[in-house]
Amino acid sequence: MYLSIIDIIVNYFPLLIKGLGVTLALSAITVVGGAIIGFLVCLFTMSNSKILKFLGKAYIEVIRGIPLFLQLYIFYILLSNEISSFVAIAIALIVNSGAYVAEIIRAGIQSIDKGQYEASRSLGMSKRKTMIKVILPQSIKNIIPAIGNEYVTIIKETSLGSAFFIGDLMTVQKQIGNDSYDFLGAYIVVAIFYFISTFSLSKIISRIERAYKKND
Amino acid sequence: MIKIENLSKSFGNLSVLKNINLEIKEKEVVSIIGPSGSGKSTLLRCLNLLEIPNEGKITFENQVIFEHSNNHKEVCRDLNSFRNNIGMVFQHFNIFPNMTVIDNIALAPINTNKMSKSEAYAEAVVLLNKIGLIDKKDSFPNKLSGGQKQRLAIIRALAMSPKVMLFDEPTSALDPEMVKEVLELIKYVANLGMTVVIVTHEMRFAEEISDRVIFMDEGKIVEINSPNILFSKPDNPRTKEFLSKVL
Repeated sequence: MYLSIIDIIVNYFPLLIKGLGVTLALSAITVVGGAIIGFLVCLFTMSNSKILKFLGKAYIEVIRGIPLFLQLYIFYILLSNEISSFVAIAIALIVNSGAYVAEIIRAGIQSIDKGQYEASRSLGMSKRKTMIKVILPQSIKNIIPAIGNEYVTIIKETSLGSAFFIGDLMTVQKQIGNDSYDFLGAYIVVAIFYFISTFSLSKIISRIERAYKKND
Repeated sequence: MIKIENLSKSFGNLSVLKNINLEIKEKEVVSIIGPSGSGKSTLLRCLNLLEIPNEGKITFENQVIFEHSNNHKEVCRDLNSFRNNIGMVFQHFNIFPNMTVIDNIALAPINTNKMSKSEAYAEAVVLLNKIGLIDKKDSFPNKLSGGQKQRLAIIRALAMSPKVMLFDEPTSALDPEMVKEVLELIKYVANLGMTVVIVTHEMRFAEEISDRVIFMDEGKIVEINSPNILFSKPDNPRTKEFLSKVL
């Protein structure tokens, strides 16, 4: 058993590293895209326009109310004729993550004391300037760590993409299993790879979090 | 300078201000006293439209900034430049914790295009010198005491050179030994000849600095009088009852 795990790592190392690369890259693309979509959706939900507000809220509720796996299938079927399955899955993950990030940003903004907003407005600063100069810089220290944790979640969620053979760690697991017939060993090896990535990322995030808390 | 007519404000079913009429003259120092929940702070917050009233009319320097009566509703279009004229100091200071002391002061003058960067920082230095906090200019607010934070909040408002200063229970959140330094600075502001409206529980202070004192209860103005009359022989029995409890 021990031997077989080490054997798998040694024999399939280049393949595993490639799979890990795909997983981390896909996750990173998802986080960045999700943050952009999330920020826009959050602006929608906080806007004065009732239509934009409704659209933003509907997006968040619908996306969060449907299993991610199902969303991947829908996007895959809709898009994979035009573009590669990797891109189709990446888009699906971004759309999904955007809804969660929008809620993260909203929570970050709402965690700022109302007095900060009032003080800025009472000084004659516009709504926009108040947001940019006073509220967002303060909420960023709540938002960044939460988005980091979202990154950790996404690393795990990208494994669902292996159903569409996008070359990520879980896809690699299938390849190794089929090649060596040691399915359990292959599962354990990719589990170790996932754990090392998520655990080290969590450690980095808590470090960033502590750095942000310095001036509190 | 500020004229309030038939002003009413309610939060949901709770009526907080009931038909308030009040005129504040230029360079006047007016204190508002009364039990908690009497609507003092809400009235103050209506003056710079941090709270939008339900009904009534507010005029500032002969310009209608708010009117809502008989299906006619009008809120000042350029709220931001109106608020440039009115500084406000809050009970909980509301200093920006993510900025240094000097950035707290310079932020609004720069971002409202009132001053250039260099002017704003030069002015901030002058103000910090005045309150003896110049050596803290690059510190973050978490290094300041409560009294220092509130004095910073006062000069932050002064940096906009407002015509009116509003103080909302400026000493209520302070440790007792910090109260005096803040009151001294408020007195200094009043002596600059600025129009001042202050909501306070410091009766002695209200008596000392005010031209007129307003006593409010249950959302209404019960009595407006000069401080020596209001505090020694008030016209209204309700005022007398309140003062007998707090003095």
